[in-house]
Amino acid sequence: MHVDYWKEITGSNLGRAGLTLLGLMVLIAVFAPLMTPYTPHQNTDTKAFSPPSKDHWLGTNDARQDIWTRLIYGARTSLEVGFGVAILSSFLSVLIGGTSAIFGGLYDRFWMRVVDAIIAIPGIIVIILVATYLKPNVLLIIVLLSLLMWPGGARVIRAQTFSLKERMHVSAAHTFGAGWSHILFRHIVPDLGPIIVAMMIQDARRAVFMEAGLSFLGVSDPSIVSWGKMMQFARVYTFLEVWKWWLLPTGFALSLTLIGLSFTGFALETALDPRLRDDKHVEGVN
Amino acid sequence: MEKSIHKPNMTLFRRQALEWSRAPSISRAVQILKGLTDFANYAFAFLIILTLNFVLPRLMPGDPLEAIYGEEAMVVMTPQLEADIIQRFSLDQSLSEQFSSYLWALLHGDLGYSYYYNDQVMNVIMGFLPWTLLLAGSALIISTLIGLVLGIESGYLRGKALDKMLLASLMFLNGFPDFFVGILLLLFFGVIWGMVPLSGALTPYSDLTGLALVSDILHHLATPLTALVLVWITSTYLLTRNTMISTLKDGFITTAKAKGCRVGDIKYKHAGRNSLLPVVTSTGLHIPHVLTGALFVEIVFAYPGVGLLLYNSLLTRDYPLIQGILLMVTVTVLFVNLSMDLLYHKLDPRVCRAR
Repeated sequence: MHVDYWKEITGSNLGRAGLTLLGLMVLIAVFAPLMTPYTPHQNTDTKAFSPPSKDHWLGTNDARQDIWTRLIYGARTSLEVGFGVAILSSFLSVLIGGTSAIFGGLYDRFWMRVVDAIIAIPGIIVIILVATYLKPNVLLIIVLLSLLMWPGGARVIRAQTFSLKERMHVSAAHTFGAGWSHILFRHIVPDLGPIIVAMMIQDARRAVFMEAGLSFLGVSDPSIVSWGKMMQFARVYTFLEVWKWWLLPTGFALSLTLIGLSFTGFALETALDPRLRDDKHVEGVN
Repeated sequence: MEKSIHKPNMTLFRRQALEWSRAPSISRAVQILKGLTDFANYAFAFLIILTLNFVLPRLMPGDPLEAIYGEEAMVVMTPQLEADIIQRFSLDQSLSEQFSSYLWALLHGDLGYSYYYNDQVMNVIMGFLPWTLLLAGSALIISTLIGLVLGIESGYLRGKALDKMLLASLMFLNGFPDFFVGILLLLFFGVIWGMVPLSGALTPYSDLTGLALVSDILHHLATPLTALVLVWITSTYLLTRNTMISTLKDGFITTAKAKGCRVGDIKYKHAGRNSLLPVVTSTGLHIPHVLTGALFVEIVFAYPGVGLLLYNSLLTRDYPLIQGILLMVTVTVLFVNLSMDLLYHKLDPRVCRAR
């Protein structure tokens, strides 16, 4: 049965809401410099902890920096990490999951042991430990998160590739002498497109959350603006009024990004799972 | 192998061979073999962590002693202590000898010495562990129960107003990171309305006993517990709802309806019980996360659990303690996973046969 996944997502309320939220965040991140006269690290002339005003939409923080500016630049960090991890991690999943299924044998068994091992390790603690020793920066965080996240996806891809491998077009390509990379990237990947996208959304969601959590703990590049770090600094000043326009907007921005990703992902997964799809005649039976 | 069982054109010989492979003695041997491979997996994961633990401080440029104990520690380090540590970690010997002495110390339960808490790392961790188990353990039980009931109700009423509302609101709630939920609860209930204590697990120096002590502990537990439950409900809920939806399409549900069973019985005794298995499994898989899952909430509420201990050891650069916690957590995670794997075969015969 052919399923138009785009239509499935835009057809459900959750999917539409999720896509809208995501689009909004991407627009904010891309056009951040156009939406503010300040830069995120600039110490303005306004005094510290001033409430929202015409010049400073969300007031200023303890270092006289404009909070609105830091908020919209923070979206860049979150989305960079989210997209970066989604791409790198799903690439690893496809590469290792796919080749494991294609080659099989000892190669397959070796990678599946590695997958089991990495899944059993508590990720956040390992990242904290590694990032404590090596100086954390955005690229390192992306690489570390990807290295911890690919195994889940690799299992899914491997299982799917096993059944695809037997299909006519793939075995035909194999008969004509196509190499594994041709089979993987020209036949398997296009067929698994929607599943890979669902996997990427899931990875991006976890990555955005983990990046915020890590920078909340202080494990982050000191030179970049990050929502988690902003919340950690803002948390110290809860005895002042300032949390209303410093802590809350930042927390909600982060939550809305995560909600956008989960809604979109849920809508896509519902479309992917034949048992969950809203088949009208099945509904009629109940 | 599972696929070939359903192939109609399978030869009689192969079918017979399959029957034989189910013979008790052979299947028992297969099971033991499987247990061994499982065990090998865990040993592999454990080895990765051990190596990380060992290699990272030694990869650092400069003095390994400084990397293990941090720059700050070098200020207070006496020559005698330094000689003592060098001897203990065999820092003057080759890498392989260092690794073996590291393993030897671990075998004796010696995780190192925390200079910040001035105690054995093992003792420090043991002091913080019970609070994490109390907080995260009860949060796991409560969130699973609530998620289960909401999932059953929501799955039964799929597409109705209640289901749509529950689904949207729980998914919405799920978007909030646990530390933000914690901060919000703390701000409103603690700072603004003053209903709950702001930090800790006990009122210090109060010398409470009996019921007063219990109510004090519960009073401190309430907000962090709520934060964790709110964040953890959604996964159980979604899983139960999805399983309910496919269970409800089964024939025996139609039979139950035709027999005129009460709606409550169909929901909970027929469909609910049959949807329980994946939920139990996923909750089981969640048990290892009990130790690390409460990390952020513990930090926000300054709740004296393992998460807070880890955070403090990061701030004080107490490397032996960080490594010790990582090792403890990994061992627990691997142990729980291993016993889950072994238990799983006993709990669900269907799964065992499918393999």
